[in-house]
Amino acid sequence: MSTPLILLPGDEVPKDQLPHSKSNNPLKVGPGLRLLSQPSAKPTSSNHVLTATQAGILTTDAKRNNVSILSFSNRRYIPAMNDLVIAQVHHSSVDFFHCIVTPHTAHALLGQLSPQLKQGDLVYARVLSVGVGAGAEVEITCVHPATGKAEPGGMGPLNGGMMFDISTGMATRLLRASSSSADENEGVDGLVVLSELGKKLESIGGFELAVGRNGKVWVDCSNAGENEVKATIAIGQCLQGTDEHNLNPTDQKKLVTRTLKAMKL
Amino acid sequence: MSREAPLSVAERDFILKALQENTRLDGREADQFRPLSISFGEEYGHVKLQLGKTSIIVRISAEVTKPRDDRPFDGLFDISIELTAMGSPGWENGRTSDQEASVSHVLDRVVRHSNALDTESLCIVKGVSCWSIRADIHVIDYDGNLTDAACIAVMTGLQHFRRPDAVVRDGHVIVYKVEDRVPVALNITHKPLSVTFNSFNDGRDIIVDATLKEEQAAEGELVIGINSGGEVCFMSKFSGAPLDPLSIVSKVNVALEKVKALNAQVDKVLQVDLAKRAKLGMADESRAANDR
Amino acid sequence: MVGPTASLSNLHRADGSASYKCPATGFAVLGAVNGPVELPARRDALKPEEATVEVFVKPGNAVPGVGEKYVEGILRDVLSTVILRREKGLPRRGVVITLAIVGGEATERGDSYLTLLPALLHAAQLALISAAIPLPMTLATTLLGVTRSGEIIRDPSPAVAKAATSLHAISFSSKGHLLMNESLGRFDFDTWELVRQQAATICRGAATPGSDGDAAMGGTDNAHVDGFVRETVEDHLHRDYNWKLESI
Repeated sequence: MSTPLILLPGDEVPKDQLPHSKSNNPLKVGPGLRLLSQPSAKPTSSNHVLTATQAGILTTDAKRNNVSILSFSNRRYIPAMNDLVIAQVHHSSVDFFHCIVTPHTAHALLGQLSPQLKQGDLVYARVLSVGVGAGAEVEITCVHPATGKAEPGGMGPLNGGMMFDISTGMATRLLRASSSSADENEGVDGLVVLSELGKKLESIGGFELAVGRNGKVWVDCSNAGENEVKATIAIGQCLQGTDEHNLNPTDQKKLVTRTLKAMKL
Repeated sequence: MSREAPLSVAERDFILKALQENTRLDGREADQFRPLSISFGEEYGHVKLQLGKTSIIVRISAEVTKPRDDRPFDGLFDISIELTAMGSPGWENGRTSDQEASVSHVLDRVVRHSNALDTESLCIVKGVSCWSIRADIHVIDYDGNLTDAACIAVMTGLQHFRRPDAVVRDGHVIVYKVEDRVPVALNITHKPLSVTFNSFNDGRDIIVDATLKEEQAAEGELVIGINSGGEVCFMSKFSGAPLDPLSIVSKVNVALEKVKALNAQVDKVLQVDLAKRAKLGMADESRAANDR
Repeated sequence: MVGPTASLSNLHRADGSASYKCPATGFAVLGAVNGPVELPARRDALKPEEATVEVFVKPGNAVPGVGEKYVEGILRDVLSTVILRREKGLPRRGVVITLAIVGGEATERGDSYLTLLPALLHAAQLALISAAIPLPMTLATTLLGVTRSGEIIRDPSPAVAKAATSLHAISFSSKGHLLMNESLGRFDFDTWELVRQQAATICRGAATPGSDGDAAMGGTDNAHVDGFVRETVEDHLHRDYNWKLESI
């Protein structure tokens, strides 16, 4: 692949960069791009162009026939359908639990079908709908739509453990890394920190992890016995360190070794 | 929704549990500050301070004005802090929050009312003109312990600042430009700083320099203002769970130790910066001489 | 001439941030953007279908006053036109832009903010990009001073600005629209036209208006402002995504 193309708001996506899918699937336009019609000389044939609305790296996926922009990783999370999020119960009403998904935006609603929860509890949930139009409410659910895929932690309340804040870009990478089987050395999206931690912490009982697209990661090491607190903190530090310093795979491995050593694990 | 997102039960429980094992989220000791870095802008009295992920910019400025009628021998000194959405999405622009009021109160007591800046030395002509010194605090990133960070930054700024020289001739006040006459340092009488303690688990665990999440999980707060000589100039225990008097006494000693260390670090960066400026100044002068 | 410097996403808490420093005028501005966030209900009553843009300017060593309120109005108008306020997640929410003046000569009470406009706009726009707020285009701003002898000076220093007969702060979008035109002092139409032409060249390069944005990005003295914005963003993205770019 050639050097990646960086677009700024208003830049057009060059036609030759779009995926050429043989199937008849329509092209899916992801976040950060929009379709504009340019008036042309002949009124019958309109001229469509894709332009960027965010600055970022143009990424295309020929298999799924989609194109999107990888933007700044520190951006605020905006709920989208089917995203996995870690929500925090703020209060409950007759029909819903009102949950915080992104701080300082409206609460997301979680149906009362779910188990009893109290204020401050964490729930691993899926975004069910984001509504249409202005001011529509976001609905989330922990009733798992049958996918058959075993996800770590699973949907529902997250008991015990600890939650760490990460960037939304990092959360997306972690989710991709945990959903696809990783190549041992390269990792998915250049992430080896999780598999490295998994290997090193296996002996003390391993850990459970849930990643929310809203920039949250929940870690539980309750199998680690007396090392529980240390192991949890070590995992949090490794994830946040990788995120903040944009570490490459080699440095991620070094960070894991160094952190575990400092924690005497 | 103009406040920080509340802490989840999991986070609070974990922080408390970890503290029982004498562990903090960032691996620090209970009485250890986060790494402190201080740098200066081009002008005198422009301080950039970073304490962990809490970042503050302080700018000191001076102007000639009329003294207050009831204090004709005193100059004016104001500390202004305004929390904007830059420091945290939880802060609302143009609106005074409780946090702003409480930090500003502590700064007022520790720095202003303890007379750290000798305001009498700011008088130019009795009852007619004096210097008014302003410290503007810009909180650009907030991750806990705003009070101590702001206190260090203001004290550093006051020590770094140089006001223009002014003389009285035939009843007129002449203010010299910085280029024309070497500016004058402020008269600092002592160097008080605040040290904020947070208590957890029924007062069994007490830590300094809490991060935002630690502050949110804390049950009580104790602020001690003290100078390097061990003179306590401020103490507050406004709210939260009670503390054992003995632990307060022992924390005064911890605060003294911290203030000595912090002041030593401030002295060091000040010396390095002023030496750098002196060197630059000399280079400028010799260049000017060559031009002639 | 030393060109301006800028960096992105320096702050942890804000959704997006940028710092911008112009050595020629001496101004340094720090910008932070939070968005989309919930605003108290009363503020979105007028237009619920789009986002409300809020601008807050914090002077370096003074209490915000009338001058700040005035310039906030100008900035809000200009920036509102370059934010896609109806995109997903934005309606009924707010985009809060906070700008702190962290360097440069203090503006005295009653002084015009005109000289600060370019630094404020650049910091705001870079912070918007850093927060990934959807924008239809970028913008570039310049400050031009006309001296008594009729000479047009780019980014005049505070002393030159004070002596100038007229000052002009002019913004162009990356598509060539004139987005802001703020002038101060005495000037005639011919002077303004000259100023506009020069501003267009400074903002967008020597390319003739109407051609696409791929004007030659020469490293000459008069590197244009559009190119500067692009380089700043590209530099940052290269660092943010080095895990991705290294593996390619």
